[in-house]
Amino acid sequence: MISLLHQKREMRVRKTILRGVYEDNLRIIGKGGNGLISHRYYYAKKVLLTLCLSLVALLVHANYVTGPFFQERQLTAGLITRDYRTTPDEISAKTDDYRAFMKNPGSLSRVFGLEVRTIMIDPGHGGADSGTIGKMGTREKDLTLDIAKRLRERLLKHGKYHIVLTREEDTTLSLNRRVTMAIANKADIFISIHLNYLPSKPINIIETYYFGPSSDSKILRLAEQENAGSEYGLSDFRDMIEKLGRTLKLQESRDFAYSIQKNLFVNIKKETGNAYNFGVKRAPFVVLLGVEVPSVLAEVSCLSNRDEEMKMNTASHRENIANYLEAGILDYLRKGDSKL
Amino acid sequence: MSQAETQKEGSILFVGIDLGTSRSSISSSNNTREWVESYVGWPKDFISLQVVGKPVLFGAEALKNRLSLDLCRPLERGIIKEGIEKSEEAVKEIIKHLIELAKPSGGQKIYAVVGVPADTLKVNKLAIRRAVSEFAHSLMVVSEPFAVAYGMNLLNNSLVIDIGAGTTDFCIMHGTIPSEEDQKTILNAGDYIDDQLYSYLSEKYPNARFNKNMVRQFKEQFSFVGDMPDEIKVEIPVDGKPVLHDIKNEIRRACESILPALVEATTEMIARFDPEFQIKIKNNIVLAGGGSLIRGLREYLQDSLKEYGPCSVTSVNDPLFAGSDGALKLALDMPSKYWEPL
Ligand SMILES: Nc1ncnc2c1ncn2[C@@H]1O[C@H](COP(=O)(O)OP(=O)(O)OP(=O)(O)O)[C@@H](O)[C@H]1O
Ligand SMILES: [Mg+2]
Ligand SMILES: [Zn+2]
Repeated sequence: MISLLHQKREMRVRKTILRGVYEDNLRIIGKGGNGLISHRYYYAKKVLLTLCLSLVALLVHANYVTGPFFQERQLTAGLITRDYRTTPDEISAKTDDYRAFMKNPGSLSRVFGLEVRTIMIDPGHGGADSGTIGKMGTREKDLTLDIAKRLRERLLKHGKYHIVLTREEDTTLSLNRRVTMAIANKADIFISIHLNYLPSKPINIIETYYFGPSSDSKILRLAEQENAGSEYGLSDFRDMIEKLGRTLKLQESRDFAYSIQKNLFVNIKKETGNAYNFGVKRAPFVVLLGVEVPSVLAEVSCLSNRDEEMKMNTASHRENIANYLEAGILDYLRKGDSKL
Repeated sequence: MSQAETQKEGSILFVGIDLGTSRSSISSSNNTREWVESYVGWPKDFISLQVVGKPVLFGAEALKNRLSLDLCRPLERGIIKEGIEKSEEAVKEIIKHLIELAKPSGGQKIYAVVGVPADTLKVNKLAIRRAVSEFAHSLMVVSEPFAVAYGMNLLNNSLVIDIGAGTTDFCIMHGTIPSEEDQKTILNAGDYIDDQLYSYLSEKYPNARFNKNMVRQFKEQFSFVGDMPDEIKVEIPVDGKPVLHDIKNEIRRACESILPALVEATTEMIARFDPEFQIKIKNNIVLAGGGSLIRGLREYLQDSLKEYGPCSVTSVNDPLFAGSDGALKLALDMPSKYWEPL
C-alpha cells in the first residue's frame, strides 16, 4: 500500500518535470511566456560573450591549431630531400624504394589516341616571389615564365595538345592556387619549371623531382625540424606522407620525371659540355602533392653558376631548354602510346 | 502509453544525446549506444581532402589527422562560440554523426532529447536548437546534469555534480525542472586539471617533450586524490628517447587543484535551501561526468561534507553514458502531445 502511494507520488513528480521540460523548450523557441524580454537580454549577453570568445579563440588558435606544416614556403624549401642521387649512367629506377608506396598504382592516365590532351605548365614563382636571383640579378621567376611560354609555342605546333599556363604574367600565385588550376583545367600532365641555386658548387646541376617520401631517417629528421615547438608528433607527419604517397600516380610521375631529366641532361651536356646529372628525386612539394595526374618539377638550370646565368640571358639558350622539355614531354607521351 | 505503440510500429526513433565539451554520446530506443570525442575537423584545403579522403572527420580520427584539418571543439569552455559559425557548424556535424551512428532505419522519425552543459543551455539555447533541428523531427534541449538526475530517478531531494571537461555543473532536484537557482557551474573541471598537470610537468621536467593530449592521457590513466600506494611512472621522450618519469606528485596536485572550488560550490549550493531539505540533499549526492572517475574523489568530498552532519556521496556507474541514457529516458517518458508542437 505504501509503495503504491509512493509510486503514485513519483508519477506525479515525473509528470510535473516532463511538462516543465516541454514548457521550457517552448520558451526557447519563443512560443511561451515572456520570450521577447529574455531574448533581448540574451542578445546583449551574446554580443559581449562573442567578443570575449573571439579573443579567446584567437589566442587558442594561435598556439594550438597552427602548425608549421601548411606554410607553403617551408614546405617547398624545407622538405626537399637530397639523399637520393643517381650518377649519369644510372638513370634506371630504384624500384624497391617506393614499392611500398605503389600498392595502388591506379589506372594509367597515358591512354590517348587522337584525343586532345591538356598539358599544364607551371612557371615557378612570380610576382612578389622572385625565386632565386643570380649574381648579375637574373630572376628565376622571369626565366621560368619565358621558358614556359616558349614551351607552349612549341607544343602548340603539334596541333594535338591543349596548353595551359598557371600564370601568363609576373604575378604572385600560391602553390595551392596552381594546384587548383591544374584540377580545374582537367590537366592530363603537369610540369613545374624552376631553376636551382647551389653556391657551393660552381657547376650546372640538372635535376627533376616527383612527389614521394625520402629515406625514412631523413623524413624523421625533417619532420622533427618542421614540428619543433608545435604539438605535432612524428607519427602524424609520417602518416600524412604515407597517405599522400598512396593516393598519387607515383609510377607515372616517376616515368615522366625520368623522361624530362634524360632529355634535359643529355642535351644540355651536349650543348654546353658542363652539366651534372643530379637525377630524379622524390620530395614532398606541395605543388606535386595536390595534382592527381603525372606531375614533375624540373630544375632546368643553376643560377648560382655565372656561365649558366649568362647563357640564360640569351633567347637561344632558353629556346633550347624549352626544346629539351618538349622532347621530354613527347617522349613520355609516346612511351604511353607504345604501351597501348 | 502511446509512445510504446508508435515505437512498436518503428516509425519513431527516440534518442538521448549528451553533447559534451570533450565527449558526446547517444543512446537510442533501438538499443544502440555510441560516443565520440567532441572534435570535428574539416580538411584545410583540397590537398588535405585528398589526404583524409572525407569532407568531415570526428573524434579520435580528427585528432589523428589534425595536421590536415581545421579542427574545432565546438563547446570549448562549455559554450558554443556563437558568432563563430564554425562552432555551430561543428555542433551540427556532431549531432548528424551521432544520429547516423544510432542507425535509424529509413523513414524513421527522430525524436531527440539533447543534454548540454548547463552554461550552454543558459547562453545558446536557440543556437543548440538550430543546430539539432535539421536532423531531428522533434527535439527538446535540457541541461546535462538534469538529464543525469532524471535517468537515475533522482527526481527529488538530490544533488548531481557533473564533473566534465570544460565545466563542473551542479544541479539540485526537488521534484520540478530545475530553475537557475538550482544550478551552478564552475570552470574547475577536466581541462583545468590538464592545464595544471601540464604546467607542473613542464616545470619539473623541462627537457621532456609532451603535449596536452599526452598529459590528458596520463591523467585519465592515473588520476587520484589523497593517498595511494602505487608508483606512477610514465615514458616521456627526452631528446627523442623515451625516459621514465615519476609523475605521481604532479598527478595528485593537479587532481587536487579542483577540490577547494568543488567543496566550496557544493556547500554553497546546499546552503541555499532550508535546513530540513539540506539534510536530505546531503544524503543523496551523486557524482557524474568523466571527472567522477578520479580515485578518492568521492571519499574526499564525503569526508569534507561530514563536518556538517551525515552525508552520502555516490558515483554513477557509467559516466560516459549517464547523460545520454538519462536523455533517452526523458524522451521515452515524454507524452506524445508534447512532441508534436516542437
Ligand atoms: N579516469 C579519469 N580520471 C580523471 N579524469 C577523467 C577520467 N576519464 C575521463 N576524464 C576526464 O573527464 C572529462 C570528460 O568528461 P565528460 O565526458 O563527462 O565531459 P564532457 O561532458 O565532454 O564535458 P562537459 O560536461 O564539461 O561539457 C575529460 O576532461 C577527461 O579527461
Ligand atoms: Mg558533460
Ligand atoms: Zn624555384
